[in-house]
Amino acid sequence: MERKETTETQSQEATQTQTEETTQETTQTQLKEETQTSAPQTFYSDKLKRAMHLLLFRRGKMPGAKEWELKEKIGKNYEQVLEQLNQLLSELDLEIKKVKERTPAYATQDEMPRDESRFYITLKGTLGLKEAKMIGWRIDNLAALAAAVAFLLSKQGKAPREDLEKLLANKFGRWKSVTLVDIFLRTGYLEEDDAGVISLGWRTQSEIDLKALMTRMAEVKL
Amino acid sequence: MNEKQKKPTLSAGRRELKELADTCDAISDRKFNPFFLDVKLGVETLRQFFPLWETFQDHCMDAHTLNRLSEVVRLQNTQLKFQSSALYADPEFIVKKIEKMSEKRLVEVLLHSWHPLAELEQLTEETVTNALIYWDTLLPIAERWKKRQTNEGKPPSSINAETLTGLGVHGEEFNKQISRLYDELRVACEKSKVTDYWTFVRRPTYQETVHRAYLISFLITYGFAKLKTEDGKLSLIPVEQPTGKAAPNSISFPIPVPRSS
Repeated sequence: MERKETTETQSQEATQTQTEETTQETTQTQLKEETQTSAPQTFYSDKLKRAMHLLLFRRGKMPGAKEWELKEKIGKNYEQVLEQLNQLLSELDLEIKKVKERTPAYATQDEMPRDESRFYITLKGTLGLKEAKMIGWRIDNLAALAAAVAFLLSKQGKAPREDLEKLLANKFGRWKSVTLVDIFLRTGYLEEDDAGVISLGWRTQSEIDLKALMTRMAEVKL
Repeated sequence: MNEKQKKPTLSAGRRELKELADTCDAISDRKFNPFFLDVKLGVETLRQFFPLWETFQDHCMDAHTLNRLSEVVRLQNTQLKFQSSALYADPEFIVKKIEKMSEKRLVEVLLHSWHPLAELEQLTEETVTNALIYWDTLLPIAERWKKRQTNEGKPPSSINAETLTGLGVHGEEFNKQISRLYDELRVACEKSKVTDYWTFVRRPTYQETVHRAYLISFLITYGFAKLKTEDGKLSLIPVEQPTGKAAPNSISFPIPVPRSS
């Protein structure tokens, strides 16, 4: 009887260990499955980080990242990565903007591929007057920038430097007008060619909503 | 005689084509409106002179002018497209608005359409390389000072009374000029006892204006006149009994003479 009992208990223990083993196995397989399913997510977040670094840290003369850079560093699905990153950024009032770079007429296809785009992170909303002062802009300089961009837009985006300086001189003084144009050229809001013709720069194209600016200008009542 | 005038000549053709190309260039440089040029007339001019071309250069000039005309046509097309877009606004209308709008209003307009970039700046390989090149090529300070010493101009020297008289800043002639100006100031202030500085100083040429401003500075320094500033307006008051000495508490007051005035 005693023997029977022991055999029974042994068999019970055996079944217990068996069940324990099976449960361990199932948990292991579950974990495996879980890790398998969560693997692309971690990989994805890694790509998000890489994309963020590329867009935020300036490496060359211009901020942002070129299309080919993103393709090379993130992969072919870079657009999906940027889309996901954009969703995250939108909560912080930021967004990713794609701007087509203008290729110079003299550049060959090998030197600079056509339709190359650059991606930037910009503010989604707008700034207030006080905030604009806080990020290092003088109010009169911003007013001059608005005047310069609106003037150039009315002239189809290009005008001789003298004309622009004359306009700014009437409003902000003769000496300041020269300095102001130089500031806008240095910061990329304007560009100047060899003939002294001023045009809208890459920064204006990527930062300023030109249609909104002209609409506002037209709406202003004097 | 009239027939002779109408007949196209080679030299006239060359001149006309040059003028045409120059006008096209000016249009490309945004100095004129693209519709300022009658392209059809330009093409007819090219046709008219084409049979006269003799040299290779003439044909090159012809091709160049045709190329410039095509550029004007492209600009005309762009302008038409632009005028039909939402961005179109009459340049004169915009200029008037900018002139009348306050700075604050202009900033508000910009801020409603401005989405500044977010970026972080840091050291890059390129900037470090440039810095290293700069320091490697920079000469030691002793060497740089040597360069400065060789560039020094003449040391200060004395000047005699004759030279000063020749320069017009000393001597009888100079004194006469000052006393003439003093008399002129007294006449100008006969009625109101005060005269506006710029009305008194300003003359048709910039040189004359500067010369008068220069002489008036002596009148004030020697106590022949007083300079009064009120709400940014400068006025001159002649002193009836001048002492010939500077006022005890006088201060230096720089007045820039703008070229536009």
